[in-house]
Amino acid sequence: MKTNGWNRRSFLSAAGLLAAAMGTTPGRLLAALPAGEAPTAQQSALLREVSQLVIPRTTTAGAGEVGTGAFLSLALAHGLKGTRAPVKDAPAGWVLRADGSLRHDLWLQQELNRRAKGDFMAQTPAQRHALLAALDAEAFPEGPPPAQPSPWRAIKTLILTGYYTSEEGGSKELRYDPVPGRWDNDIPLHKGDRAWSSDWTAVDFG
Amino acid sequence: MTHQDFDAIVVGSGITGGLAAKQLTEAGLKVLMLERGRPIEHGADYTTEMKTPWEMPFRGEGDAALYARDYPVQQLNRHFTEFTQNHFVNDAQNPYEVGEGAFTWFRSYQMGGRSLTWGRQCYRWSDYDFGANKRDGHGTDWPIRYADLAPWYDKVEEFVGVSGAKEGLAQLPDGHFQPPMALNIVEQTVREKILKQWPDRCLTVGRTANLTEAKPELGRGPCQYRNICMRGCSFGAYFSTQSSTLPAATATGRLTVITNAQVEKVDYDPASRRVTGVRWIDTQTKARKSATARMVFLNAGAFNSVHLLLNSGSEAMPGGLANGSGVLGTHIMDHANTLSAAAIMPGFEQHTTFGNRPTGIVIPRFRNLEKLDGDGFTRGYSFQGGALQSTWTAGEREAGIGAEYKNHLREPGAWRMVLVVFAESVPRVTNRLALSKKLDPLGVPQLEISFNHGKEEMAALADAKKEAATMLSAAGGHVIFGFDRPGPGGTAIHEMGGARMGHDPATSVLNKWSQAHQIDNLFVTDGAQMSSSACQNPSLTYMALTARAADYAVTQMKAGAI
Repeated sequence: MKTNGWNRRSFLSAAGLLAAAMGTTPGRLLAALPAGEAPTAQQSALLREVSQLVIPRTTTAGAGEVGTGAFLSLALAHGLKGTRAPVKDAPAGWVLRADGSLRHDLWLQQELNRRAKGDFMAQTPAQRHALLAALDAEAFPEGPPPAQPSPWRAIKTLILTGYYTSEEGGSKELRYDPVPGRWDNDIPLHKGDRAWSSDWTAVDFG
Repeated sequence: MTHQDFDAIVVGSGITGGLAAKQLTEAGLKVLMLERGRPIEHGADYTTEMKTPWEMPFRGEGDAALYARDYPVQQLNRHFTEFTQNHFVNDAQNPYEVGEGAFTWFRSYQMGGRSLTWGRQCYRWSDYDFGANKRDGHGTDWPIRYADLAPWYDKVEEFVGVSGAKEGLAQLPDGHFQPPMALNIVEQTVREKILKQWPDRCLTVGRTANLTEAKPELGRGPCQYRNICMRGCSFGAYFSTQSSTLPAATATGRLTVITNAQVEKVDYDPASRRVTGVRWIDTQTKARKSATARMVFLNAGAFNSVHLLLNSGSEAMPGGLANGSGVLGTHIMDHANTLSAAAIMPGFEQHTTFGNRPTGIVIPRFRNLEKLDGDGFTRGYSFQGGALQSTWTAGEREAGIGAEYKNHLREPGAWRMVLVVFAESVPRVTNRLALSKKLDPLGVPQLEISFNHGKEEMAALADAKKEAATMLSAAGGHVIFGFDRPGPGGTAIHEMGGARMGHDPATSVLNKWSQAHQIDNLFVTDGAQMSSSACQNPSLTYMALTARAADYAVTQMKAGAI
């Protein structure tokens, strides 16, 4: 089962061994991706930019700045949030792997270039924002969910995951307390109070 | 290699195995406890406990490619994450078969078993539960009633450390509690509004095996309100084998523990009509080993204890050990489990909480108590759940990009409340365990599980969906969705039965002392012994039955009867 240099068995073995080893880092896992899955410089730049557009720099750093693009490449290759599930009735033009799953990174690149009528990355920052905002808005239609949800939703979920589980997003943008030590069942919430990234139940249930 | 001469062998080191070892060693017996999984040292081996998401290779989400290959079942558990994956079995290495229906079997093969990964909810059963089979004719009558177990619940709760609120409910008897954790403001309000409209419906905080007061005699500290229990808690704040029963049993000097020991057979001597010991496979060296003892306690987890009995058949007992009745393996149960209602709870925008409470709420059973008022079902159901504010993951469902979107996700989101139903599983002969023709990697026949929920459970879940929505609406909530179809068997992780207790040796495997009808020195004190499922989380009842059976066994042994 090979596609674009992708060999699932060897990839899984390599990833499994790496993950089992102490000191495994996302960087090493990313470096271990097979040739077809490893992002090109161009794709890395796009994923970084898109991450930054979703979560830009405010009083804290944006998602692109804290490595969310690289996380996205790793997450999509490993199929986090169901992104390696086979796609049924894929529209024409979608690039699928041999296992039937969508190459979300290539889809995003094509979709943004299509909307830009050229190279998305060559547009002005304001144009890039507007193009992505339009894609985003269309991915959340009113009414019941469409039979074929936009692949953007999974990508956006992974961008949020990448950012809010980073040290910047998790502990500076939001608050992180590893050992609260007490339970206050009713305290006032003031405007501007930040949410807790360490409220695991809230993270779980959204 | 044969290990000689223990007073008792305990198979399994989980919630009941650990407790059996404690009770038996404290009574003066020399005990061998066998565990099929790896050793895990309290504290030292909780390797992910203190990790942040940004220290994890996959940020706590875990490697989905690895999970698809090695953990296809375990990954369906909401609590299976990159932080906890080392506390669950590798499905690829521990296969099982599904016969009829569907069953997701969530397992933890390791020192401490699922005591490390359990939900920690501790509820007494009542006579509505012990009388259920007799009342509607499903299954076989329990040979015990609440009064038989009440003193053992007292003892077990005292040792375990259960925090909870006394409510004076007949269907959920009060226990020996540590101070309760408080309801949050939304839950408190919902409690009051429900009580006003339905005086027989009592929302109360979960009764949980998390300490609100330290137990210094065992080196256990109080809960730190992290709510990451399943990674292992080096504070010892929740009950596990490691935090509680193992140190107590070890302190006697009479406990021997062997890990990586997958027990294959219990040996039976037809001449004396006694079990004489057990045989196991060292999972690391594949060497076969054995030990002898005056009595054997099976605490391998409900389905694995039954598996062991089925696999221990002999010429004298061809249908499986202690299976003279032919019912061994049958009448297995779980709970029918689904999310009955989720609602937005407006009006609390100025309120929040601090800390992560490691329990939700419970609304005990209110159907089919004094009168049979269930439409199409005669058993009970109860709700668990709670009220919470959302955080960044709410952004997954919302349109938006840019600074405004980011700033919106910076603040806690709207309050919501969820009610998750657990409905009683009717004991049915068709829901059963059998030995498969397929072998596991060590050459032992795999377990085959056949399981379907029935029409009674479906009727209960339909009622639960309706009532959950009605209650949350009455409390001021806007219900956004709810379900009335259960997940597959195993979803509740309350699998039980298969070696049921009963009055009659012709129709049950165990007597009222959790002792095999046919074999005086064989006890099964985990979930396998259950004759009905109630709708409460069952672990506390397994523990009370274990303590009671151990006391009986010791008395009988000292009297020379076994």
